[in-house]
Amino acid sequence: MTAAPRRVAITGLGMVTPLGNDVASTWKALLAGESGVREIAGFDASGFPTRIAAEVKGFDVRSAIEERKSLKYATSFSLFALAAAEEAVRDAGIRPTAATAERWGLVSGSGMMTQEFGFLERFQRRFAPQGEIDVAKLGAEGDRFIAPTEFARHRAVAGQALLHERFGIRGYSANLHTACASGGQALGLAMRVIRSGQSDVVLAGGYDTMINPIGLAGFCLLGAISTDNDRPTQASRPFDLTRNGFVLGEGAGFMVLEEWQSATKRGAKIYGELAGEGNSLSSYRITDSPPSGDGPIQAIRGALEDAGESVEAIDYVNAHGTSTPMNDLSETNAIKAVFGARAADLAISSTKSQMGHLIAAAGAVEGVICALAIEHATAPMTINLRTPDPECDLDYIPEGCRPMTIDVALSNSFGFGGSNSCLVLRSPRRAERLED
Amino acid sequence: MSRGVVITGFGCLTAVGADADVTWEAILAGRTGIRHAADLGDFDFPYRLAGEIKDYNPRELIADRKLLKVITRQDVFGLNAVTQAIDHSKIIEHRTSLADSVSFDDRTGVFVGSPATKYSHQHDFLAALVGTTGDVASFGARAMEVVHPMWLLRSLPNNVLAYAGIRYGFKGANENITAHGISGAQAIAEACRYLRDGVIDRAVVVGYDSASELEALAYYGSVGLLSSEGLRPFDQRRDGTVLGEGAGALILETRRAAESRGATVYGEVLGSSVTSEAVGVLAVREDGEGVSRAIRLALDDAGTAVGEVGMISAHANGTRVSDAGEARAFREVFGDATVPVTAFKWSTGHTVAASGVIESILTLLCLTEARVPGIATLERLSTDCHGINVSAEEQKPASALGVVVTRGFAGLNSCIVLSANG
Repeated sequence: MTAAPRRVAITGLGMVTPLGNDVASTWKALLAGESGVREIAGFDASGFPTRIAAEVKGFDVRSAIEERKSLKYATSFSLFALAAAEEAVRDAGIRPTAATAERWGLVSGSGMMTQEFGFLERFQRRFAPQGEIDVAKLGAEGDRFIAPTEFARHRAVAGQALLHERFGIRGYSANLHTACASGGQALGLAMRVIRSGQSDVVLAGGYDTMINPIGLAGFCLLGAISTDNDRPTQASRPFDLTRNGFVLGEGAGFMVLEEWQSATKRGAKIYGELAGEGNSLSSYRITDSPPSGDGPIQAIRGALEDAGESVEAIDYVNAHGTSTPMNDLSETNAIKAVFGARAADLAISSTKSQMGHLIAAAGAVEGVICALAIEHATAPMTINLRTPDPECDLDYIPEGCRPMTIDVALSNSFGFGGSNSCLVLRSPRRAERLED
Repeated sequence: MSRGVVITGFGCLTAVGADADVTWEAILAGRTGIRHAADLGDFDFPYRLAGEIKDYNPRELIADRKLLKVITRQDVFGLNAVTQAIDHSKIIEHRTSLADSVSFDDRTGVFVGSPATKYSHQHDFLAALVGTTGDVASFGARAMEVVHPMWLLRSLPNNVLAYAGIRYGFKGANENITAHGISGAQAIAEACRYLRDGVIDRAVVVGYDSASELEALAYYGSVGLLSSEGLRPFDQRRDGTVLGEGAGALILETRRAAESRGATVYGEVLGSSVTSEAVGVLAVREDGEGVSRAIRLALDDAGTAVGEVGMISAHANGTRVSDAGEARAFREVFGDATVPVTAFKWSTGHTVAASGVIESILTLLCLTEARVPGIATLERLSTDCHGINVSAEEQKPASALGVVVTRGFAGLNSCIVLSANG
């Protein structure tokens, strides 16, 4: 334990989001304060209590990936993953070779909706016409009912397998599912995989969609999502007094993470350092952290300690900020508990106000946004915050994107089930200063 | 800082036993839990074998009856194993004796190998689909009336993680890994990472699955992975795997944490690895390259030489390609060495996301008692699995150090290096 610790450089970024199908268009829409929330176009949602979502628009995976063969093994969120990962790898200007493939890792967070609605419909018509499964018929015909590609597509590891095959990554591999914390935890784990020496480069990110009839029904039944169907662009309003649930989003975010010295040596463009992660469990309720912020507090403190940064050093916080009554209160109180008097000076925003909640992809996409915020010296805003909540009284950047130097950014992600992730990203100049 | 991670508690339930002792005795006695799947009744199903948990009664497995309303069958197994391991480790008694239990909870992690969502989770929506004939709008309206409001929460792939935390109040680092057959082994590896990194002092590790759900039998069968005869690892007549149910859990601690509370140490996790073959969703390389690389990386991580390995717990799922590739990898790494090879899926069925933890527990028992059970269903070693020391008869391990190999879809391979009595 005497060698200098290995540090982690961010050298490539990729995104597919409700605001744009790549990094540049997403960032432009964020700066413009646009909302990606619309009436659901992907299917007829008119019978559901919620009929709005932040869908990815005009997405064609072939614009990123010309190769067709493996695409039949991909559900829609795997396609988002392939496109965002391709953008990140191209951006980094490095790909695995025969000589380096075993030193590349893949760490991702992915969604839970691994079967498609169309499959369930077909299953119901064939095997459960009255709602009860006909076991004899399933026994007689089940093995001919499903196509091998369909079986493969339904595996929870399908996206992981496609990413490995597409990029020829043969080293460490992990796929995480801690609901809305998945993407953040994936980036944090990827950082640790490089630090430990298991990999030199890791393709890391998250991808998800729950915008399908089953996912939407599940959230509607739970009462967790906003029903502001008549004003979709204003439905996601984190930290606003009138917030009434989140808005489903979809997409993917990926980063190429590299051991700092080797990234420097090859002259890579470095967006920043992924410098720390905190990972905790709220152990309170399945859907919420407690109002005190217990759980998220440990994640934020853990991330600061891991990065060796003090509360004074933090410039910008990309909040989890889902727009549910409890999350935004709990998160605000967690920030106050950790930052004390500093909390009032922090620039905090929730980009979910613009792109909705990307669930397992959220933490990864928001990590990418933090890297861009450092790069462009601009903190994104929280749109739709018009009625201040007296209990959520921090600076959420409601007035518009804020030009500011960002040397250290935090990204929070808290999941259903109580898993919490907090990441620390450092600007290249601060990282280099610490290097000396 | 010591890299040592010790095992201070364990528990499991499998098709052959409701706890680790009964499972171990059954395997030593050559008993298998593989039977015709109970739900199939007398129906003519081409693939009807399964390693199911027998006489399933959730109320006997989970004390909290309210909890049973918000979880599903696979979660019941996972949480039962968690309780067994925690009771075995006596960490809660230790916590009760502490003046400050807050930092104990903050520094206790939970690492889970999860099977992700099942086909059966979607069945709650079948009634809402009746008569909708492709009309999604009317499906949506019906679903609001006939589906349980808690459906989404009941179906979460991280329920065992969440409820293990809520039940015991643990608040440390956590991961929920969905990596098919290596999920459980990777949960062990990831817990060791956070213990070594000094982020936590102890962790609950659990792998769980109910892999033999009805639809899975049909669909796994459709892609040629299942046997309708039985699971016969490395055998000339092997023709596929048999899916099963179960869960295993371990309590892992830093050596310092275990010693400071005077815990009984059952063994040590010395090293681990994960490799990918990058060959697609269902394919595996015939040459076992991912397995041999995983074993080498794990031994390297453990700081252990090949010659120190005293036994191998093989993945041995009974499929033609996987078993042959694995045998080839063992020959490649261990040469013509006589290190005993055994396996457990022939008895428990392939418990997929649970298998890495269950098989690590059984390997620990092999090393502790210096007994390597035979593979009771092995009649004639297959020519394409030659050169490995596998037997239907019991053997002795060559040392108190063993390796546990697991494999999964996406070309994933994992190896865990264990030793008995730390």
